[in-house]
Amino acid sequence: MTDRRRINGPPSGTRPAVFASSLKSASGAATERPRRHRQPNELRKIFLKTGLIPSASGSAYLEYEPSASLAAARSSPQSLIPPSSALKLACTVHGPKPLPRSATFSPNLVLTTHVKYAPFAARQRKGHIRDASERDLGVHLETALRGVIVAERWPKSGLDITITILEAEDDRWWGDAPDSHDAPWGMMNVLAGCITAASAAIADARIDCLDLVAGGVAAIVSDDEAAEEGNSSTPKLMLDTDPAEHKSILSACVVAYMPARDEITEIWLKGDHSKASLGVDDSSLGHEALIDGAVNAARGAHTVLVEAVRESAERYAGLSTSDS
Amino acid sequence: MASTLPTLAIPGQRLAPVSSYAAGPGTHVQNANIYASIAGPVLVNPASSKTAKSTLSVSRSPLRTAAPAAPQSAPKSTAPGPSKLRYNTLPAVDSIVLARVTRVQKRQATVSILVVLDESASNKAGPPPTTTTAPTGGASDNDNIEAILSSAANPENHSNSDELRFQALIRKEDVRAVEKDRVVMDEMFRVGDIVRGTVISLGDQSFYYLTTARNDLGVVMARSEAGNMMFPVSWKEMRDPVTGVAELRKVARPF
Repeated sequence: MTDRRRINGPPSGTRPAVFASSLKSASGAATERPRRHRQPNELRKIFLKTGLIPSASGSAYLEYEPSASLAAARSSPQSLIPPSSALKLACTVHGPKPLPRSATFSPNLVLTTHVKYAPFAARQRKGHIRDASERDLGVHLETALRGVIVAERWPKSGLDITITILEAEDDRWWGDAPDSHDAPWGMMNVLAGCITAASAAIADARIDCLDLVAGGVAAIVSDDEAAEEGNSSTPKLMLDTDPAEHKSILSACVVAYMPARDEITEIWLKGDHSKASLGVDDSSLGHEALIDGAVNAARGAHTVLVEAVRESAERYAGLSTSDS
Repeated sequence: MASTLPTLAIPGQRLAPVSSYAAGPGTHVQNANIYASIAGPVLVNPASSKTAKSTLSVSRSPLRTAAPAAPQSAPKSTAPGPSKLRYNTLPAVDSIVLARVTRVQKRQATVSILVVLDESASNKAGPPPTTTTAPTGGASDNDNIEAILSSAANPENHSNSDELRFQALIRKEDVRAVEKDRVVMDEMFRVGDIVRGTVISLGDQSFYYLTTARNDLGVVMARSEAGNMMFPVSWKEMRDPVTGVAELRKVARPF
């Protein structure tokens, strides 16, 4: 029986949070936030390969190049904690398969998406049951893909898309205290990766699509260096932001974009982009610049996607010529 | 003919304007242009008449012909033409399927569809395999029919993966063309038999409808009560080679 008359402490012991920004390493230097070494419009390199899971009708594996700070930390480790993380995920497509017996008749393909973090994917461990953020990602992914698939060519059948995230982006630098700008920024990068990988896997499964849909992320960040030097901290637009590399992300946008048709099937804007004036010469509104930036990032991811799908088609067509 | 047709297409790639080609399977039309909707080799099927346009399609099955973009002017008499491309790999009306019997009731038999046969593959299945020399454009599923059948005819595999296959019904009146009212389902099919049938309807949300009311349709593989593979002796009888016991089936013509 719990004591209801008093305010009880937590049932297990707690420890005060220790933040890396206040920690000194063994050499005496404070641990530093990883820096972005890329140009503002430069994407991280993407590894994308299809057909890695033989039991699935289509599959894809996607990996972002780790940032330079992570590569440096791996070669000469200063701390046991990696400074940043890079996205790694696997996508499988099962189907077209019959609908479950309880389902009603559907003249179209019924799309189901599942996004699941591996328990070790993020710095905070995830449970085995999908939580709200994972279900949210699944819904976003389904919206992104539903506009691409030609569903009426597959009557009475279902398509299951399952994404396992092996390593997720951080929402902020691990040494930062939670602040007002906090939001699950890493989730947006994860969603962009999910869209690109799912698109490759669907093409690998040979489900009819209007186009290869690619995901892209852009964010408006305010750099703290500029603020320290006394300049007015002008927010900047960056493509494919790694949230660990920035002090504060004001707003971010992820799109699912079809380059051949110039259409967006899914858009997700987060944060405050009203006061973000991007310089005096740029009169465009914050959110328009954000969407344009995200579309540009998606165009970059699309070039990788095209190569991966072409490789899948060549492998598929080449298989028959070799064994005939 | 425009020389801009790619050999290999990826989804969303513009192939040709609709004014020069007709859109076939694996493509879609957007803004009077034909776009690929799946990744694969591009095929041009020559028009059947002078007035019609050639059909442009993207093949779902891997092709053995190395030059797909060039329309073949060879007449169809020399070789069976390329197998008819389909919009999907699902069973459709008139497609011939191989299915395994999962349940036999008084009025109907429930089967689960193992593979949808191509037209080329059903030609291949007709004559005995030793005499076939004509190359046929095999599809991915149809290349390993033997593997699918041998695993499906094995009693150990009966319980698994039935949920992943499309289910179908053979109603009592669809079993054979003559003496429909005298059909006794127990003497037509047994659980575990492999049946060749043709789809007559997409049916409701859960079942397709099959018929075996043709001479070339019916049971193609069956095991006797003793568990041995049986051979057909007549249109309604199969025999166990070991025990010599005959069992009743609706047998498909073996050749």
